[in-house]
Amino acid sequence: MIVRICGASPNSYSACSNPPTFSAAFTSKRYQLALLSSLVAGEYLKRLEEARELRRRSADWAYIESRPEPLKTALKLLVETGDLWYSAKLSGVPLDELNEERKRARIPLVVV
Amino acid sequence: MPLAVADTCFLINWLSFRRWEDIFRLFNRILLPSIMVPELRSQRVRSRVEELAYSGRLVVLPRVDYVDREALRIFNLVNSTPGLPRIDEPEAYGLAYAALHGIPFLTDNASPRIAARSLSSLRGVAVYDSLDLLVLLYRESGLRAAVEEFMSDTSVTFSRERLREAGVEL
Repeated sequence: MIVRICGASPNSYSACSNPPTFSAAFTSKRYQLALLSSLVAGEYLKRLEEARELRRRSADWAYIESRPEPLKTALKLLVETGDLWYSAKLSGVPLDELNEERKRARIPLVVV
Repeated sequence: MPLAVADTCFLINWLSFRRWEDIFRLFNRILLPSIMVPELRSQRVRSRVEELAYSGRLVVLPRVDYVDREALRIFNLVNSTPGLPRIDEPEAYGLAYAALHGIPFLTDNASPRIAARSLSSLRGVAVYDSLDLLVLLYRESGLRAAVEEFMSDTSVTFSRERLREAGVEL
């Protein structure tokens, strides 16, 4: 997949008619700004890693292993990512069903 | 604040909270993007959402082209920026709608919050999680009790850092 980043104006979609390729975008001012901003996100990444550890520790693994597929995979994916929507979408399990299952499996959703 | 746009995970969990109706002390109306509605399958959640829609406290947003374009821009920008956690399509749509209309986005996922704090083109977009709303709704000992009840009812946990930022000691 070629990822494209639009031009200098964030809300100017005409700038996207001939957008730079991903590699060209690496040198753009906008990309550099985004890269600097990602340093702010570094603090959150530490929190996200701690949240993953908490989910791994809290989860009832015997319960997770006892569930049929695709629920079992969805719950394991949820432990690793903490992302309910993503886990539901990839596994095909309905979102609210997975949410109920994750409560039974004692997987906390951690707000960081 | 009359309006806020919410994502599905946030709404599902908030509706499990015993004091869920208190959210309408902060917002007159919650907006739910239509692309998120098919995610709601359980009868309990659907019934409550329908009840809220009937009473006019929840409005399902139609999917529109100009929001889609902004959502795609946010989706590409966040997902191609090293160090930022991945953003999903519905979150990008909710964040785009909030940014374009100057209203808060309610989500418990980290990605929109981090993106709004980190990316210059999203600065100023208000992204609230459940703890933010609890802090806005309750004070002192009432806040602590509400946080404990929320965590018990929803199995949502707040990180130590988030609790410290909010001044909550459990």
